[in-house]
This record gives sequence, structure tokens and C-alpha cells, in this order.
Amino acid sequence: MACLAVRLAISLSLLFTASAVFEDQVGKFDWRQQFIGKVRFALFDTHSQASKKLLVATDKNVFASLNSRTGDLLWRHLDKTGPDGHVDSLLMYGQDAVVVVGNGRLLRSWETAVGGLKWETVLDTGSFQAAALVGVQDFVKYVAVLKKTAISLHDLSSGGQIWVENLPDSDTVQYQSIYSEGNGLVFVLGLVPNSHVVIVEYKIEDGEIMNKKSIRAAWMSSLESSCAVISSGILLCVDQITQSLYTLPLQSVEQNEMKQIHLQTLDLEVASGFQPVLTSTQPNPAQPPLAEFFLQLSPDHHILLQLEDGLIALLRDFNPSNLVTFATTGEKTVAAVMSPKNETACSINLFSADTGRRHLDTTIIYHLDPNGGKPNMLYVHAFLKKDDSVAYRVMVQTEDHMLTFLQQPGRVVWMREEALADVVTMEMVDLPLTGTQAELEGEFGKKADGLFSMVIKRLSSQIILLQTWLGHLWKLFYDARKPRSSVKNDEITIENLSRDEFNLQKMMVMVTASGKLFGIDSKSGTILWRHYLENIQPNSAFKLMVQRTTAHFPHPPQCTLLIKDKDTGLASLHVFNPIFGKKSHSSVPALPRPILQTILLPIIDQDYAKVLLIIDDQYKVTAFPSTKNILQQLQDTASSIFFYLVDSSQGKLSGFRLRKDLSTELIWEAVIPTEVQKIVAVKGKRANEHVHSQGRVMGDRSVLYKYLNPNLLAVVTESTDTHQERSFVGIFLIDGVTGRIVHEAVQRKAKGPVHFVHSENWVVYVYWNSKFRRNEFSVLELFEGAELYNSTVFSSLDRPRPPQVLQQSYIFPAGITTLEATLTEKGITSRHLLVGLPSGSILSLPKLFLDPRRPEMVSEQTREENLIPYAPEMPIRTEWFINYNQTVSRVRGIHTAPSGLESTCLVVAYGLDIYQTRVFPSKQFDVLKDDYDYVLISSVLFGLFFATMISKRLAEVKLLNRAWR
Amino acid sequence: MVFIHDKGVLTGSMTSPGSQGGGAVSTRGGAAAKRMKWALELSLGNSRNRGDRQSKEGDVMYPVGYSDKPVQDTSVQEADRNLVEKRCWDVALGPLKQIPMNLFIMYMSGNTISIFPIMMVCMMAWRPIQALMSMSATFKLLESSSQQWLQGLVYLVGNLLGSALAIYKCQSMGLLPTHSSDWLAFIEPPQRMEIMGGGMIM
Repeated sequence: MACLAVRLAISLSLLFTASAVFEDQVGKFDWRQQFIGKVRFALFDTHSQASKKLLVATDKNVFASLNSRTGDLLWRHLDKTGPDGHVDSLLMYGQDAVVVVGNGRLLRSWETAVGGLKWETVLDTGSFQAAALVGVQDFVKYVAVLKKTAISLHDLSSGGQIWVENLPDSDTVQYQSIYSEGNGLVFVLGLVPNSHVVIVEYKIEDGEIMNKKSIRAAWMSSLESSCAVISSGILLCVDQITQSLYTLPLQSVEQNEMKQIHLQTLDLEVASGFQPVLTSTQPNPAQPPLAEFFLQLSPDHHILLQLEDGLIALLRDFNPSNLVTFATTGEKTVAAVMSPKNETACSINLFSADTGRRHLDTTIIYHLDPNGGKPNMLYVHAFLKKDDSVAYRVMVQTEDHMLTFLQQPGRVVWMREEALADVVTMEMVDLPLTGTQAELEGEFGKKADGLFSMVIKRLSSQIILLQTWLGHLWKLFYDARKPRSSVKNDEITIENLSRDEFNLQKMMVMVTASGKLFGIDSKSGTILWRHYLENIQPNSAFKLMVQRTTAHFPHPPQCTLLIKDKDTGLASLHVFNPIFGKKSHSSVPALPRPILQTILLPIIDQDYAKVLLIIDDQYKVTAFPSTKNILQQLQDTASSIFFYLVDSSQGKLSGFRLRKDLSTELIWEAVIPTEVQKIVAVKGKRANEHVHSQGRVMGDRSVLYKYLNPNLLAVVTESTDTHQERSFVGIFLIDGVTGRIVHEAVQRKAKGPVHFVHSENWVVYVYWNSKFRRNEFSVLELFEGAELYNSTVFSSLDRPRPPQVLQQSYIFPAGITTLEATLTEKGITSRHLLVGLPSGSILSLPKLFLDPRRPEMVSEQTREENLIPYAPEMPIRTEWFINYNQTVSRVRGIHTAPSGLESTCLVVAYGLDIYQTRVFPSKQFDVLKDDYDYVLISSVLFGLFFATMISKRLAEVKLLNRAWR
Repeated sequence: MVFIHDKGVLTGSMTSPGSQGGGAVSTRGGAAAKRMKWALELSLGNSRNRGDRQSKEGDVMYPVGYSDKPVQDTSVQEADRNLVEKRCWDVALGPLKQIPMNLFIMYMSGNTISIFPIMMVCMMAWRPIQALMSMSATFKLLESSSQQWLQGLVYLVGNLLGSALAIYKCQSMGLLPTHSSDWLAFIEPPQRMEIMGGGMIM
């Protein structure tokens, strides 16, 4: 009976929290964009002329196929993250794409049409060196994989291993590349650096070593970077120091020396300090490569050369030229060369590979994006036109990981911003008000100055509103007269951006690891602006702060991005307008010393910009902006400004106080010994979080007041001992001003990674329970008790009583990749936790379920409080998945932002994909539902109105009649 | 019902519409004969006036046993005063008598907050308040009694008890803001004295 009651209570409570989208709401306020990451290999499907496929493998361990006409994903396969899923090599022959994955761990063959796996073979251990397709008598039948110590040959159609052979002297010789030309032999090229080159010949049928020789080459330090095989098995190498080319026929028995050709004889010279690069092409793996090759002499100087009868002839000198590549269609091989045209554009031209002559009418103009990076890769898809001439399309990859697909004569077919596959941090900024809205807002914002002037102001703003409305009507009328085609669609552009009624549309400012910043419209997902910051180190740390919102109308909003180079510790500030992406002209302070942390203070200057304090490694503080007004304010409030720093490597937490001269003094220090445990993460509360209710109502109608300490920090530690029995996870709640440890909890037999959320008066964290092998949620809630100590001010320095701490743990039947809490404008709406699952779903879990006051025994009072009886297992209901089937691959972070509606919270999940939606934790209590029946309601209203009128008239007539009787 | 004859003479009224119609038809049939009949029945009256009024106003005819002079009343004087007293006590004790009934209703309606208990409580609270507001009228009623002040006091106490009962009911239903939780929504978030920030070393 009790069990039944419990179930009933649970199902009742679920009724109130259940929230999911309806079928017709799909895509109404949510969108998803899928990305692949920085392209490492890209191959066009040249199997048939009409093919639209482009195969790519990226640094995010993604293997995908793109539609080359639209840029959309045809299919996408995600491998494990990290080195285990790293794509080492991508080869394509016909309909098959062969991929080597995970440093030579797996060999896979994919069917390119639908993306199905044809076969997979586990390779022997050993680090991967090279892979090549091997052809026999004009047919490609095998794929050879070279590892550090062995070479193996696999059948292309089944993946079966034909043979595997150990490489001779593999402890001294570094084998680096494979070469075959369809004559029944496979050559393996190895090198002993600065000594000699080793060439081993294998027979394809059984892997027998046919020949092995070593050739002296004392100048050579790397085979891969300086050598290429051209023209029927001739190894060609280039050396920068001697300024010469070396040739060696691989198959010749008698020649034991490399033939040296001085570049001077060709009137060429390698730029000093530049490692020259050779580019050759082998259109068909069963045929020898072409005799033509490119030699790059300096970053923007390429030369097309030809080797004929042991002599090198210069075909064409491309100076200047950024990028060159070969492309083959049918029997013709062409060379595509990109050369700078002017400051803002590059031109791409086709040249015949065997003669070096330019193909007419093949110029594509590529316009450089002033807010983008320089091009660094060129992928050419050449095809034959009906008149047998060669035409082409080209995909340009730039430093900021953007892919641009161009068609003759320079039309951009599509673009993909692959930098967005690696979003580091983001903010959501309110859109600006339109002029008229700002006018009205301004009226309320100003101080009242007399009744009369207020009336005048009101009237004038109303007249302006009327004017704009009339203007709008006139425009509508004017547009209606025009033919339909000439009327522009209502596209969202930067010019017509304005805040909507409920502030549901915002600007998403996204910072990516490549250093490219994006401004994305949250309603449609359109990229409205982009800005590429050059010279960003790959392991930089970013911190994005909104210094001024759009609320201060004549002043533009302002965001500041702090970029810290982790190697040098030096940082720079990028100050920009988040709506237009333009760099601000404000004077940025010079930061000559390494930076430790920054604080955004709620103090504002006369231009309404919040003050940013930057702390350097000597604990000196720099203020930005640092006007006189600000320095004065800082001096006045210095004694109440505190900050804390956490040094994970030394396990040290330290608290500082600001002095009037902007130096700091250490006021507390706590050390968590690094031998035992390591600080993993620290989180305070979000600055824009509002808590509406100061307490919780008990069943007996008394109040349990929340311990809402704005200075509370949650510090999570993990044990250094990872043994299953001894590992633990610790959580410390520390007051950041005084350094007092408010509470500490230890989860024994638990392991990280720990995900946690710190908000209001609670901390929720997730860890792996290594004893029971499951994920567990634990929630800590802090209460002051039945009385508030001081209801008007909160000071950490005056808190004599420690809070009451309640804790409960639950089993969560799934893995977790990220955790975040919803956030609303006033904090009235109940909170939900957004849980990113490894499957790509995002679960919206009511905080109601994570309540340490959930009782084990149901009583009258707990029922009064609407507490769900405790159940160790946390339910997962499918309607709680906010992204239904729109999975977000590899969720790394979830960003929540309040909207103008109290019921609505905006959510952006980012990882490999980006997904934006809205959630309504307490349902949409402040707006009418989407399916609200306006027709029925209004018809009923009108019906009733007319019925009243008619019956009134009838009653009058009847009264008159009666009066006459 | 009043109607006008075709010759323009207002004659009289009939109660039943059926007979009226019949009458109308018959008058049209033979107007002279009808008028003669009317005149005969209400012999002494003016034919233009109503028949029944004539019978009232014409104080010529008295019913049997009617006397013009009032009969002297001597014996019931004392009992009447007792009756007035009794009546006044009834009025004064009225609210007190309602209390057991109210208690019963209160017990029956329970403490859940729904439309019927709320209506009951409203009625229970409104009646004593209404009575207290019209106290002066009640006092006028009690004027004739000798124990006017005592009765007034009892009446007042009864009503106060009634409203106290209503308040108690409100209290037990939880409608009174007597708990700290009822004032929770009005507590402003405390002002922050210290500004704090920071984080892991970047």
C-alpha cells in the first residue's frame, strides 16, 4: 500500500515536470549545426563524372563525406577522441575509401556512396609510418601498411592479410615511405639519419625480399620532408645546405651513389632558412608517377620541373605563388597554382602538367576575407568538359579552418566554418534596441524633471512612434507595388538586428580554439560576423567577459577577450563590439608581465563599462578601463574587494585583498597537499544569477532559510592514488573572502572526472563510483536554519554560525560529459539540470529530484512540501531529452542564458556540433501556448457579444409589450 | 386589465383573460344589453368607477359583526411586556444560538481549501460582521426592552464569538498570514558587502 502511495506520488510529481517538444514544434525554436573539424585529408570522388562526393578526414577524428554542390554532410563517422581514433591516412580507389586509424591500430574500408563499413582489420602493434595502394598490372588490388618494424599487405576487397614481413635492421633504420608502380614490387624506403638511405624491395606475391641496398646520403635527416619518387621509380631528394637535387633510380643494381644536380645549374636558389619541398603526383597507383614535379623554394615561390633522361628541365617558374597542387582527370594531369593578385584577392590558374602551359579561361578569383586567415591548402577537383578541355572546382582551406568551395569564374558555392567544431567559450549578448525602442527606454531611464516636461517628452516619443509606424506602412505600400522578385527577403543581417519583444533572440559570441571569433544569431544560427585573431598559440587560454551590455544605449556594448599564451604566460586583450564584431578603439593596457587571473567588478565607470582587474604574477593589479573616475572608485571600495587564486600544481588556495594603491595583500592561504589529492576545479556562483526565494517553506509552514553566500567557492579534488579501493573525490566549500572551510565532504571509492554545478545554496556533483561501477549524483544543500542571521546585508566577515548542510546521493544510469543548470531572469522558475550524455542527448533533469530533503518515509508534512520520496535510482525519461533526435556529438559545454520571459531559458550546447534551443523548466506559464485556439476563443467571444446584444433588444421589446397590456 | 369600448367608455376590469375576451366579444355583440347588466349589479356606483373600489370606498355596507368603536383591552398588558422581553432576548441570543450550528458546519467542511469550505467560511465571517455593522438598528429593536443594555451586550458577545469562530476556521485552514513562510516572498535578497572574484591560475 505504501509502495503504491510512493508510486502515485512520483507519478504525480512527474506530471508537473514533464516537458517535451511536440512534433510540430520541431525546429521552431531550435537548430543544430554539424561540423567536422580541421580537414587533414580531402579527396574528391573522381570515380564518375557526376559524383558529388568529397571525402574528408579531420583532426577531430571524423571521417565524413560532403556534398560538393552544397557543402552539406552526406554522412559522418566519429571515431574515439584522442590518439586512439586519429586518422593516419586516407586512400581512395574507386568506390572504396581505405582509412588507417589510431596510429596503425585499425585498417578500415568504407563504401563511399552510403558510408557503410565494408571491412575492418586489426593490424599488428607498432607505430604507423605510411600506407599506399599497390597495383598489379593496371589494377589496384592491395593496400600496403608500413609500420616501424614491419610491413603488411592486405587485400583491398576483403581486408585479409596477404603477408606480413619484419623489416631488416628496424632498430637502426627509420623506414618512412612505401612506393610501388604496378610492376609486382613494393619498395620500402628507410633512412639512417645523416648516414645512408636503405631501400628494400619486396615481392608482392609472397613478401620475399628481392633486393636490399643502402646508399650513402650523409646530408639527409628526413626522408619524408625532402624526398619524392617520380618518373618510373626515381627517388628525388632536395638538400638545402648543398643547394642541390639528388636522384637515384630505385631499381638499378649498379648505381650506388646518388646523382647530384646543383640548383645553380638551373639558375635556382633556395631561400635561406627554408626547407625546400618537393611535390609529385602519381595519378594511378598501378602506374609510375609523372616525371613532372613542383619544387618550393620559398614560402611563395614554386617551380614546375621535369626530369627527363636524368636531366632536369624547368617548365615554368611561379613567382609569386602561395599554393600549388596537382589534379588528374582521365588521362590529363593539371597543376593548379594559386598566386596573389592584390591585397584582397588571389587568382587560381590551371597549367598543363607536362608542358607548363596555361589553360585558357581557367582563372578563379578567390577573395580573401579580411576577417579570415590566409589560405593554406588547395584541393582541386578537375573534370573534363564535353569539348575535352579541363575544367575544375577548387576547395580552399584557410588558417582559420574555413573551407571555401569555388567554381569558375570565382563563384563561391559554399563555405564551412570548421573552426566552430572547437568552441572554447561563449557568451550570449542582448541585441540592441531599435532607435524608437531606445527613445522610449530613454524616457523611463532619465530622472523625472517636472510634470510638464515629462508630458512633452511622452508626446514627442509617441509622435516619433507614429512617424515610424507611418513610415513602415508607406514602405509596405511601396514594396507591394514592386514586382515580387525585386523585393528582398526578410533576411537577418547586421543592419536589421534588433531585440524582439521577449528578448528571446540574442547574439551568441563564440570563441574558438583557432582564434576565430563568431557572432551568431541565436534564432536562426546565421553567422553574422566573424573575426580571425592571427598569431594565436594552439594551447592558449581564453576568457570572455561582457564589460558593457546593450542596456546603455548611446554607448555600444563591449566585450573583452583575454588571450593567454600558456607557454610564456603573457596575455593580450581583444576588445570588441559583440554585435558587429568590430574591434573597439579603446586604449588597451599593456600587459608586460605574465597574467594569473582577471576579475570583472560590478563597479562601472561614467561610460557604464564594468571594470576589469587583471592580476599579474607579482599580484599587482591592472584596471581596465583605468580612468580617473575608476581609480577613485577603486580607492574608495578597495577594502571590500577580495580575490582568490587557486594553484593546482602546488595545491594552494590563497585569498587576497586589494589595497588602495592597487597592490594586494595576502589574507588567507589554504594548502591541500598535492601528495594526497589534486585540485581539479573551482567554481563560484554565476554573477548574473538571481535567487527569488530566500528560503524554503516547510510542511508546518515555517521557513528554512537558504545559506546564500555569494562568496562561496566549491573546490573539487581527486586523489592522486587511483587504486580502486583507495581513490576518493573530495569537495570543499570555502568562503572566498575569509578562507573559512564551510563544509567538506569526501566520497570514498570514487573517481573522476567530476562534473559539478554550484548555484543558489546547492552544489550538485557527479563522480564514478568505482566500487559499484556506476555514476552517482550527489547534492549538497546549505541552510541557515529557521532564522536569518542578518536579513539586510551579507558579509562573510560576520557569520558566527555555520550553515546546516544536507546531502543525498543518487545513482545515475548513464555516463555524463557535461553538467549545467538552467538560469532565468528573476529566478522564480524552478531549476533544471542540463546533463550532456555521451550519446549526444541533453537531458533536462528537474532539480526536484536532486533534493537532499527527499524523505525515506512519507509523512503528512513531506507530502505538504511536495517532496518526492527518496529513491536511489534517478529516472531518465525520454521526454526529458530536450534535443529529441538532434544529437550533439561530443558535447563539451552547455551555456545557459536567461531570456526576457521568466519561464524561458536559452540553451546552447557545443562540442563538435552546436545546438541551440529554449527550455521551459516550469512550462510556459507566462505566454499562451502555441496551439492556443484563437479562432475558437474569439468566435465564442463575438458570439456571446452578439447574443447579448440580440437578447437585450428582445428583452426591451418584450418589456414594452408587457407595459402595453 | 383595462380596455376601451368601441363607444369610448371605460367600463371595468376582469381578472381572467378568457372571460375578458368573451366579454369583449359579447359587448361588441350587444353593447347596450351588457351595460345594462353591469349597471344593475353595481347598483349605486358610478358606472365610470371600478366595481370593487366602490364596494371598499362606499362605507355604507358593513359586514356582520362589525363595530365602529374599539374594544377596550385590559387583561393582556403584562403578558405582552413579557412577550416583548422574550422577543428581545430571542434577538439578543440569536448569534449565540448559531454557534453550535456553525461549529458543526465547520467540522463537516474540513480544512481543505476548495470552493465550498471557502464559501462557508466567507458566510460565517460575513454574517457577524454584517450584524456588528447594523448594531444601531438592532439596538432600536431592543429599545422597548427593560434589559436593553444586557441584551445588547449579549448580542455583541454572540457576534464577536461568531467572528472569532470564523477567524479560527480561517486559521485552521491556513488562510491567515501568521507564519513566517507567508512573508517569505517579501524578503529582499541581502545586500552584498564584499566583492569577490578570481579562479584557477589561467
